Amino acid sequence: MKKALVFLIVLSFVFCSIGSVSFAAEKLMVYTSMKESLIGKLRDAFVKKYPGIAFDYYSAGAGKLMAKIAAERQSGRMTVDVLWHSEVPDFYQLKGEGFFEKYVSPESKHIKSTVKDPDGYFTPARLGTLGIVYNTKKVTVPPKTWQDLLDARFKGGYGIANPALSGTAFMSIAMQANSLGWDYFQKLRANGARIGQGSGQVVDDTASGDLKAALGVDYIVIDKMQKGANIGFVYPKEMLVIPSPVAIIKGTPNLGAAKKFIDFLLSKEGQTIIAASGTLPIRSDVPVLKKYGLPTPDEAVKRAMKLDYLKTMKDKAAIIKKFDAVMKVK
Amino acid sequence: MLGRYIKSVGIAELLLALSVLILVVVVAVPVLLIVWTALFVDGQLNIKDIVMVLSEPDTYEALKNSLVIAGGVTFLSTIIGVFFAWLVSRTDLPFKNTMKLLFLIPFMLPSFIGALAWKMLLSPRSGYVNKFLMNTFGLEDSPFDIYGLIGIIAVETMYLFPFVFIQVSGALERMDPTLEESARISGAGLLTITRKITLPLMLPSIVAGALLVALYSLAHFGVPAILGTEVGIYNIPTKIYERIYQSAGSFDAIRTGTILSSILVISAGLILYAQSFILKAGRFQVIAGKSMRPTLLKLRGLKMPLLVLSILYIAITVILPTVTIFMVGSLKTYGLEFNLENMTLDNLTYILFDWKMTKDAIWNSFYLSLAAAFVTMLVGTLISYVIVKMKVRGKFILEFLGVLPFSLPGTVIALGVILMWSGKFGINLYNTAWIIFVAYVARYMAFSLKSNSAALEQVHDSLEEAARACGATHWQALKDIVIPLIKPGMVAAFFLIFLPALRELTTSVLLYGPTTRTIGVAIYTLNEDGETVYAAALASIALVIIVVGQLVIKRITRSNVEGV
Repeated sequence: MKKALVFLIVLSFVFCSIGSVSFAAEKLMVYTSMKESLIGKLRDAFVKKYPGIAFDYYSAGAGKLMAKIAAERQSGRMTVDVLWHSEVPDFYQLKGEGFFEKYVSPESKHIKSTVKDPDGYFTPARLGTLGIVYNTKKVTVPPKTWQDLLDARFKGGYGIANPALSGTAFMSIAMQANSLGWDYFQKLRANGARIGQGSGQVVDDTASGDLKAALGVDYIVIDKMQKGANIGFVYPKEMLVIPSPVAIIKGTPNLGAAKKFIDFLLSKEGQTIIAASGTLPIRSDVPVLKKYGLPTPDEAVKRAMKLDYLKTMKDKAAIIKKFDAVMKVK
Repeated sequence: MLGRYIKSVGIAELLLALSVLILVVVVAVPVLLIVWTALFVDGQLNIKDIVMVLSEPDTYEALKNSLVIAGGVTFLSTIIGVFFAWLVSRTDLPFKNTMKLLFLIPFMLPSFIGALAWKMLLSPRSGYVNKFLMNTFGLEDSPFDIYGLIGIIAVETMYLFPFVFIQVSGALERMDPTLEESARISGAGLLTITRKITLPLMLPSIVAGALLVALYSLAHFGVPAILGTEVGIYNIPTKIYERIYQSAGSFDAIRTGTILSSILVISAGLILYAQSFILKAGRFQVIAGKSMRPTLLKLRGLKMPLLVLSILYIAITVILPTVTIFMVGSLKTYGLEFNLENMTLDNLTYILFDWKMTKDAIWNSFYLSLAAAFVTMLVGTLISYVIVKMKVRGKFILEFLGVLPFSLPGTVIALGVILMWSGKFGINLYNTAWIIFVAYVARYMAFSLKSNSAALEQVHDSLEEAARACGATHWQALKDIVIPLIKPGMVAAFFLIFLPALRELTTSVLLYGPTTRTIGVAIYTLNEDGETVYAAALASIALVIIVVGQLVIKRITRSNVEGV
């Protein structure tokens, strides 16, 4: 008994110290805003292909990832090797700060996207789309346009994820403010729209009926639909298309593994996994999940709301503040 | 001979110095760093900034909410705790002993898991209870809304009232019945006796319990994070969390955090001071050594209604949320109806075997708690020994340092640990499990000190003196006399730390890195990410671990007590 306890304690100390240091030949730590249902499948396929690489990821909202990275930069102890999320302006920002390693993947010539970095510091690896997810029990006539959400039938029941936490929410707000104007949000607020938590939670809140409808990220919604949730999903004509760039952190000791991961992500194999989990690939030679109404990458790029990313980068804090001011008025 | 003497004294003294050093490094310096960071900018006293931070509506609001929550929870917990304690100790309520055990169960449930369950039950449109009531009575609006201050206070009270219950029921049972009897003989009625004798006598225990509740709720993260942030209600810990995460970890946010933390520390200090003040006002020898049972009040016609009330209370606060967690944890996806077709065990197997994040979390929590409990137990024993047994000068500093972590909120400890261990002083533990380990040692030191001091105080000095007189060295006396005698206290300390650490959230949520999530953090982030069914599934695993852990403790501590 005593010996067993001492053994356990010694063991726990050993694990305490190797908790952060792994013995595999090559390591790779990806910080991503992709949820488990997407990054988990990519991990499985990648590890199968490269069993020598100890692959790990940290999945959290873009806001949290950036906070973690900032804290790591301050403490000088970097854990992240590859960054992959949907808040495009952050990538322009970090590129400007010289935080990324330049890498142009041989696969990148196939890419279809609204964003492309001519200097090759980051590469879009997925085209995220956002539509309106609605609870099929509470909403009998699906909304068709963004304006439909101003109807009385959505009163007090429309939710948008918190842009401070979620990159896709921030990008959507920036795009909608740009195309539909801030008074669109004022009208939404007048109709009782709410700020939720992360991009996953607003979908779950819609599935449970806490919200009637929400701004939903494609693969999160489709994952829940596949599991049988009572939700429907529609894209208004002007689409929210948000590329999720991936980039390598400058000075990473795992450069080789990082490049392999990006190549894999952009390859037909990687993109097929991405498409199968219900989001848009960045290659036109990969079929999309038609069943849930997803458009092809070409069509999505055509229908996408426009945005000046460099300007958005500068206005980021102001946009979040303005959104808070509009939505949080009691 | 001489060499051995020096060597053996050397070990005792060395361990002593080491434990003092640990206390200073782990507890004192981080706290000083917080105060220093709050007060000084670039080495200069800066009051202007402090006033500015505090006059921001956001921070001011958070401070106010923290106080309102602590006040409400303390008030309600005291009333409920005293009432049920009285019911099981001083009346002829049926099944008293069973009921007494049942009232301790809420203590075992992590309150943030409770909050998660209540969110599922009472959130305005989708809460199961709300939906049920709306369908049954054809209501337009939901009757309950768990989000907000009232919901937070209610849920925290449910899981914190045992602090008062334990203290008061213990004191009521040990009370000298002659005091009440003499009052009765002198012709006082029940009300007068209660008001003039029983309540004043119980005051120290009531205050002690209420104080624990106040300290705990003042700085509690989990429940306000789950039931408050969604509707824009923050208390100090959730505000600090939000600031640090939204500001991309900039130093400004950490500084705001330190200012808010300092206020928490001051409030905690005031609570402790108020307690000693109230207790000084009336000090009685309440507990007699005679084994006399106080007379029991006959409930007569109220017997059954009060029993039903107690059982209902347990059913609503313990069974209903637990069942909800298990049921939701086995749903295919959140929002489906509860029927067999929609239920699955896939979530559980996925979380236990397939998902690296949750597997890591369970494993991290396990070894971190084990290591922290073991180290804290040993260090706590040594420090308690110095405090209780040794006659050294400057002991009061140790005593003060020993009480300090007791009043330190988890958020404050986390911030202090960040300031101390992220490279500024040569050691960088950021993003590793070690930083959580250090924080746990600081956070749970008070538990260890309390348990060990209590055990040590029961060992009379004469035993050790006798050993020394017979020629044993200090170290030998310690090893052969003192330690065997206080072993039950040490074991108790170990488990008093191990179990709470296993479900810890407040501290680790500010310290976790990509691979070092704890069970608490994993449940919290799963909920935040909208993976409600996985959050519930992991919460049910946590509940099973906690219950099994409690049973194991019971067995071990019992066999240990018998062994001595």
